[in-house]
Amino acid sequence: MTDATVGAEGAGAGPSDPVSTFERHRSELRASRRVWNLVALGLFVIALALSINISQFFPARIATAITRFFEYFGTITPNLEWDVLFEGRDENGRAVAGSITYWYTDFWDYMTLIGETILMAITATLIGTAFAFVLSFPAAVNLAPNSTVYWISRRFLEICRGVPEILLALVFVFAIGIGPLAGVMAIAIHSAGALGKLFAEVNENASNRPVDGITAAGGTWAQKMLYGVVPQVAPNFFSYAMLRFEINVRASSIIGFVGAGGIGAELNRVISFYSDDRVMAVLILIVVMVTIIDLISERIRLGFIGRENFS
Amino acid sequence: MLTLDKLTRRFGEKVAVDRANLEISDGQMVGIIGRSGAGKSTLLRLLNRLIDPSDGHILFGDKDIASLKGRELREWRSDCAMIFQQFNLVGRLDVITNVLTGRLCGMPSWRAMSQTFTPQERAFAIQALDRLGMAHTALQRAETLSGGQQQRVAIARALAQEPKILLADEPIASLDPMNAKIVMDALRDINKNDGITVICNLHTLDTARNYCDRIVGMQDGRIYFDGTPDLLTTQMAREIYGAEAKEAFNEAATSTSLADAKGARQPETV
Amino acid sequence: MSITLLNAITPDDVARAQTAYPGAFSSKRRNLKLILLAVAFAYVCGSLWFFEVWKLLYPSELVGDLLRTIFVWRDLETWQFANIYRGIAETLAMAFLGTLLGTIGSLFVGFLAAKNVMTIGPIRQLVRRFLDVLRGVDQLVWGLVFVRAVGLGPLAGVLAIFISDLGTLSKLYSEAIENIDRKEVEGIEATGAGPFAVIRYGYIPQVLPVFISQSLYFWESNTRSATILGIVGAGGIGMIIIERFRAGLYDQVAFVVLNVLIIIFFIDWLSKRIRLWAIGEKHH
Repeated sequence: MTDATVGAEGAGAGPSDPVSTFERHRSELRASRRVWNLVALGLFVIALALSINISQFFPARIATAITRFFEYFGTITPNLEWDVLFEGRDENGRAVAGSITYWYTDFWDYMTLIGETILMAITATLIGTAFAFVLSFPAAVNLAPNSTVYWISRRFLEICRGVPEILLALVFVFAIGIGPLAGVMAIAIHSAGALGKLFAEVNENASNRPVDGITAAGGTWAQKMLYGVVPQVAPNFFSYAMLRFEINVRASSIIGFVGAGGIGAELNRVISFYSDDRVMAVLILIVVMVTIIDLISERIRLGFIGRENFS
Repeated sequence: MLTLDKLTRRFGEKVAVDRANLEISDGQMVGIIGRSGAGKSTLLRLLNRLIDPSDGHILFGDKDIASLKGRELREWRSDCAMIFQQFNLVGRLDVITNVLTGRLCGMPSWRAMSQTFTPQERAFAIQALDRLGMAHTALQRAETLSGGQQQRVAIARALAQEPKILLADEPIASLDPMNAKIVMDALRDINKNDGITVICNLHTLDTARNYCDRIVGMQDGRIYFDGTPDLLTTQMAREIYGAEAKEAFNEAATSTSLADAKGARQPETV
Repeated sequence: MSITLLNAITPDDVARAQTAYPGAFSSKRRNLKLILLAVAFAYVCGSLWFFEVWKLLYPSELVGDLLRTIFVWRDLETWQFANIYRGIAETLAMAFLGTLLGTIGSLFVGFLAAKNVMTIGPIRQLVRRFLDVLRGVDQLVWGLVFVRAVGLGPLAGVLAIFISDLGTLSKLYSEAIENIDRKEVEGIEATGAGPFAVIRYGYIPQVLPVFISQSLYFWESNTRSATILGIVGAGGIGMIIIERFRAGLYDQVAFVVLNVLIIIFFIDWLSKRIRLWAIGEKHH
């Protein structure tokens, strides 16, 4: 059938008939594609070779690295003994070697720091969300009152999220001293930037109709945002803020590396000064904390969205 | 008295409304007809100042509407309520709050921001809803209502503004014939009983003939016809509608004119 | 019906409407929202007080120096540019290798964690819990651990990126695998192909675009995070940043950060182009 159609149309067309033109095009396309694939492969190999060379990623080194990693893993694993595992402290307040009590001698110190870490994450998330909320309206191209305000708020958000938390924390520790405040400030600023961009994108996808409705009723800009936009975007804002909270818990657990509070400082200390079972003790606590927070946050998010949709 | 003096609006090269002159006295019910893209929506949006005129004047009494700014502009918008083809309610807010948004103009900002409305305002909103037979839905979310119900809530919001003029931009183009009748009856009732000027864009001729005291025909942005329904001859209507005449003469097209939805929102498209 | 005006509403009307529609007069949702806001606000104030917020009012007098030096660059001949650019090259190499290794590893582990491929529940659960642990520890912590295990330098950084990518990418890959269209797989199975052939012809063509774009995203984000891995000694530009920051050479830090931002911007652009080239063309 195709032949018949082509035959009818291409009759007497000579060298420029559609089939040969198409075939020529196709082979040209394929050839150029093959060239590009080869170029890409070549670039990839060059990048790989350079990277291996620069980072000294040689088989011999990797082999020793892997054995040393497992050795290290051995040194940070506690020597637990089953028969005394659940022994408490004796009358002198001493724990028996090989028991969990002995391993987690500083358990309550760690827990205080874990608590501080979570508090830091909550505070930083709330502050970051508040700023992101306010800035997300002028930073949405469809809602900004004018292009100058839009440009300024966009750039401001970019700066906030462009600098890594830990660098910000470094500067804050330098400026206001060691302690959790530096960490809270650093994480809050970074969160404001990251969330502000996401919120602004949500705002840009919001329907303009409710906003028009409020405008036509004589609403001010703030009223348009609060009545016309916020009800549309609130569930998404909430989800993003909760996800950010999960990220911030991780961030506040490491921000102590530069002295900005939380469990990170302790982790840095035990890793850098003692290569023993304390490293594992702190790591396990961090993993458990992160996992529990993730689970809770997921439940809240799903519960909230479920309720929103079915009420 | 609402006076349009050489009112013009350009979108780039295209002139959506071209030197429109009109005088609308208080308490009239005016229907604006014309094919999609004739500039009807733009004209209404100009009146409410959702878009700014490129040229010309709008006068209400002796107030120059086209030059209003800030608070005075918002007050004018509040005086000149608007209802839309797509209702433009806030879907995720409940019906009563949607109606109460009609009271936002001039409200102290702390009250607006914390959603604090007085019992009197609430009772007023309930009355407005009740008048349109929608009070029983007061606590539902607006998005759970049908199109016809949403349009009635939108009219209640307009009433909550205590307007002097009511603009309706294709209010029935997205509705089925039965709801279209309810909505048009409500608009006529508001016009006759409250003495509020109603200016209404209509796609179909029969609706305009049945409900309006005066018909304005627009073609390519210009006012092409202006007079009482009986002056509008079939010949004249054919000229106004051009190629769309067949559709426009058919009342049943009201509920199916989906193609017009696009034309109404984007007046620059033909 | 007659004209209704707000001021015409009498207390009687209010009372009548209130009895007819009591729900319209209570604003439980709004009150709840306001209470939640107040609680959040009180919490933030309280915790900031607990974290000694007043310290913000008394910044170190060195901050002035910092701000001055950031903008006034001096002694450019002592800046050791070769060192800086070597650090940046190291950063890029770490991100590239780490992402590549993570992708290769995840190609295997991802299938092991996907419900529809790995039908043996216990193994799948084991793999998933293992991935949870990899994800639960931050990349920077992995960096610290690897620095202790294999020594200072970019190798520790590569391994840290590899391990944390393995945790996250495998999870994303396994989700992509679980979301595929069963019908195509059944088609291959119906030909009597073995399990590896099924994966090769039934799964890979469907998930490859997702895999590629995810890996490219991770390449971008790893380039960012590789810049700070050096803070714990795991190679790359971060080491130079923190050394020079601690030495008070803020002008050099500013220069380095500026360079890093440009590089990151370039990598983002490049990754976008590659994604378009690799996926855009295969998708028609």
